[in-house]
Amino acid sequence: MVLTGAVVMRAGGHTRRRVLSVAGTAVGAATLTGCGLFDDEPEPAPEPDPLQPLLDEALALAAAYDRAIAAQPDLGVRLTSLAEDHRAHAAELARLIGTALPSASAAPSSSASATDGDTTADLRKAEQAAQKTAVAACRTAPRERAALVGSIAACRATHAEALR
Amino acid sequence: MIEELTGALAAEEAAIYAYGLIGVHLASAEQDRARTAEQQHRVRRDELVDRLDELRASTGPAPAGYRLPFEVTDRATALKLAVHVEDGVAQAWRVVLPVTEGTERVDALSALTESAVRATRWRRLAEVTPLTLPFPGRPG
Repeated sequence: MVLTGAVVMRAGGHTRRRVLSVAGTAVGAATLTGCGLFDDEPEPAPEPDPLQPLLDEALALAAAYDRAIAAQPDLGVRLTSLAEDHRAHAAELARLIGTALPSASAAPSSSASATDGDTTADLRKAEQAAQKTAVAACRTAPRERAALVGSIAACRATHAEALR
Repeated sequence: MIEELTGALAAEEAAIYAYGLIGVHLASAEQDRARTAEQQHRVRRDELVDRLDELRASTGPAPAGYRLPFEVTDRATALKLAVHVEDGVAQAWRVVLPVTEGTERVDALSALTESAVRATRWRRLAEVTPLTLPFPGRPG
């Protein structure tokens, strides 16, 4: 019970720090704009969600599978479900973050035939790297996000296994 | 946390029990794999017993029997049970993630991941597709 309480407090602290950090960025930007030194600078983007890199990675992996399948259609049977897993991750992460996924027209499949596509060995390496990203994200995630991010990390490991 | 760790312990015990029945129905190379998996579950089980002991939680005696979801009569049902128990262990470890932090959470994630990877290997041997689940450990 005591340990559970500590987890809740830490998670709350994390959120507060993020709020403060975002507020600090806004104040800093307002001050600089006031000085007139950075009038040409664009508005600072809001601080990205810590899970945004994981979402970007899921979409990049799905696109890599699409390219591989386009280049070697006989791999489709093996790779299609793996690409779908990544799209499912991206959809869940987008819902959690509260962002929209890029529209389907941005999908790279139309131009995919121009490239050779990744080999399954390339894809396996990419999955292993992406698993590490997800493990690191799970470690620092607030408790309400830990299970989803953990499942994504585990899934990426199973993809590396499926590509052996 | 004690409740979640106790759930993981029950799943590990169930896996150890199941692998005892699975092995005899498998081909020789597959039997080695089953033995390795069983050994890995024993290591996790022992770690959980130690951790629960640290937390001063009574683990109680291991259940005398484990109710199988279906009868194991041949290689096909043995492989199916192997997939089933690994999915179950993955589910039990997934719920540990929100109630742990730092290295303890990473360790729970390793247990979840190892079960998910073993389930993928058993699916490949059973020629079950797809080989992977989008969210290992998520129930349903």
